[in-house]
Amino acid sequence: MGRAAKLSGAEIVVAELKSEGVEVAFGIPGGVLLDLYDTLYKEAATAEGAETEGGLRHILMRHEQCAAHAADGYARVSGKTGVCIATSGPGATNLVTGLANANMDSAPVVALTGQVPTSAIGSNAFQEASTFTITMPVTKHNFLATRTEDLPKIIHNAFYIANTGRKGVVLIDLPKDVLAERAEVNLHPRETFAGYKPNIKPNRVQTKKAAEVLANAERPLILAGGGVVSSDASEELRRLAEFLGAPVVTTLLGKGAIPESHPFCLGMAGMHGRLYANRALNECDALLAVGTRFSDRLTGWQLDQFAPDATLIHVDLDAAEINKNIQVDIPIVGDARLALVDIIKWLEKVAKVWGKRSESVWVQRIRKMHSACEECVKDVWGEGSSVSERLIKEINRVLDDDAILVTEVGQCQMFAAHFYMTRKPRTFVTSGGLGTMGFGFPAAIGAKVAAPDKKVVDIAGDGSFLMTCQDLATCVENDIPVVVCVFDNRFLGMVRQWQELFFEKKYSHTGLGLTPDFVKLAEAFGCYGERVEKPEELEAALKNAFESGKPAVLDLVVGKEDKILPMIPPGGGVVGMIGAERCRRI
Amino acid sequence: MQTHIISLLVEDHPGVLTRMSGMFTTRGINIASLTVSPCEKEGLSRMTIAIEGSESELEKVRKQISNLIEVVKVVDLKAGGQGRGNGGGEAIVRDLCLLRVHAKDSEARSAVMQLAESYGAKIVDAALDSVTLELTEEPERVSRFVDLMRHFGVKQLFRTGVTAIGRERD
Ligand SMILES: Cc1ncc(C[n+]2csc(CCOP(=O)(O)OP(=O)(O)O)c2C)c(N)n1
Repeated sequence: MGRAAKLSGAEIVVAELKSEGVEVAFGIPGGVLLDLYDTLYKEAATAEGAETEGGLRHILMRHEQCAAHAADGYARVSGKTGVCIATSGPGATNLVTGLANANMDSAPVVALTGQVPTSAIGSNAFQEASTFTITMPVTKHNFLATRTEDLPKIIHNAFYIANTGRKGVVLIDLPKDVLAERAEVNLHPRETFAGYKPNIKPNRVQTKKAAEVLANAERPLILAGGGVVSSDASEELRRLAEFLGAPVVTTLLGKGAIPESHPFCLGMAGMHGRLYANRALNECDALLAVGTRFSDRLTGWQLDQFAPDATLIHVDLDAAEINKNIQVDIPIVGDARLALVDIIKWLEKVAKVWGKRSESVWVQRIRKMHSACEECVKDVWGEGSSVSERLIKEINRVLDDDAILVTEVGQCQMFAAHFYMTRKPRTFVTSGGLGTMGFGFPAAIGAKVAAPDKKVVDIAGDGSFLMTCQDLATCVENDIPVVVCVFDNRFLGMVRQWQELFFEKKYSHTGLGLTPDFVKLAEAFGCYGERVEKPEELEAALKNAFESGKPAVLDLVVGKEDKILPMIPPGGGVVGMIGAERCRRI
Repeated sequence: MQTHIISLLVEDHPGVLTRMSGMFTTRGINIASLTVSPCEKEGLSRMTIAIEGSESELEKVRKQISNLIEVVKVVDLKAGGQGRGNGGGEAIVRDLCLLRVHAKDSEARSAVMQLAESYGAKIVDAALDSVTLELTEEPERVSRFVDLMRHFGVKQLFRTGVTAIGRERD
């Protein structure tokens, strides 16, 4: 409990943000936020004198959706809570997509929205929208602050809730008078909600059972989801996989949980996953699923085909995810890292099994599957690879281990998920649950702000990029040199692919016609732009882009009818992927 | 199908009811009734939710409810069965009903009053051609009573929805 002081609501907000360790916020001001922005102005002025030590940086975005995505991208890369700010009414409603996106993927974000004065709430005042009720279903929790003196507790709890347990979005709606009025408050309170106990310690009886099942399994498999990344459990995951002789398949958000070059990693499973990842799911006799919610994009539609022979062990922080989509045999509610640590401990007690396991038939089979995948990714120019595929393989070859790949949504995203070998956790950022076109570029901005020393590349579809590209202005103004690789197929490619395969090539409203000249678009904003006609030119173009030191847009010409295959067709399950003829038989 | 009753202690904040009902809508959960009232602890309210569904559906509901930040305590009160959680156990369940029935003539009126008496319902108002009754009872018994009264013609019917309390175990 800090000292009592008489501060305005806006000053309290800024003081509490700083005390929560917030270094940067992405936002756009408006009428009801004038007090807050005035405080930020003074803050910036003092910070400049004091060499920005402990200062709060504000990045002015060009659309509130981008502010939310940037906060989301920042959070996923840094593990810290991302912060975005929007004004009342349209500012807040513009945020909604970004909040829903972050919450769906359990990214810790705190959103601050302005609101009309408390006395005007409910009167349809200028720029009034009921942000509190609108955002309820797309946040983990939200607050409508009604008294200035409540702000310290609200802000502290917002950050606590956003970044503990199953992480998510917390929104605080701040009426103008609550920000303007002064109140005597104790800063930095520590009290929390009596009912909020983020359950993180897994039950030891359950982890022991899990260890026994895994130790006795002939063909154990680990399925790693986003929870492994967000609980920083990569090291434990790798140890367990090696110790157990178990391959690892990941979900889309689990990419990076283990280096994909690891001989036990089979890559992403699911609808657009790798054939062998799905095969492994089909063949395993024990499945340890960690930090995943078994979304339909992973399981396909035939749930009885999903790991049919396996004893299912499910570790998740959110008890409500257990037995929600799939019935499991051994539920473990708790933090992914702690659960893995426990399971490893139990296994070490029965360590006799390992020696003989390390080169079991299963392990040999995994190794073969892994090398087949790796060869495929390394074979950039081989016959049957589409231009899109070659471009991703080239990007995979050219980027260093620390580079961060962000994606939009569509074929480009799935090409990246399939053919990009993620090396480290938090270096593959994508919109999983909501599948939000327009996410990638602003998320890349957040990623670059979180990791200014790393290369940040957005894999974008032309359709997606046009949804949020106005924030190139933000990049230029704030010197945020991200590189956007536009996969220019002049189609809403993923929808077109479905129309090609399942709707008799009737391309209803998926052609984008004459898309803009992306090079000129880049230049109009003051960015670097280059057109890449052939995948062979990509490496040089990327080099130019990075060396320009500017935000860059590379216009990559791809095959108009490139398809991302194999895939699970609608109604199918993890066996029976179509378009897998190219994959080597093992 | 079975009726389950969940009793909650929730923070007495504005918006808690919206959040609760919104959660039911987003998760596609149907509820039979929901009541909110003050409770013995300051700053907290009690919600009693009746849900019809299987045991596994109930389990899902319970978990989703527990995830709400403002929910302080969840107690499962199965009517007439084993309860779970603190203070669970066989529950005392009540529903209050106010019912206005037609009583056109003295014959109907005395029949209505007789039935009311046998159910322990109180006459709370009477007019020339109607009688208003109050019955506080277990929900099933209230339903049976209402069904019988339909025979005479129900003008208006009000039910509060269930509230419930666990039995004290010594
Ligand atoms: C905001 C939003 N609107 C619509 C969709 C539906 N949708 C999914 S993929 C896709 C096409 C994406 O096209 P593009 O960005 O050009 O990428 P491509 O598939 O061509 O690589 C569409 C329209 C979506 N995911 N998000």
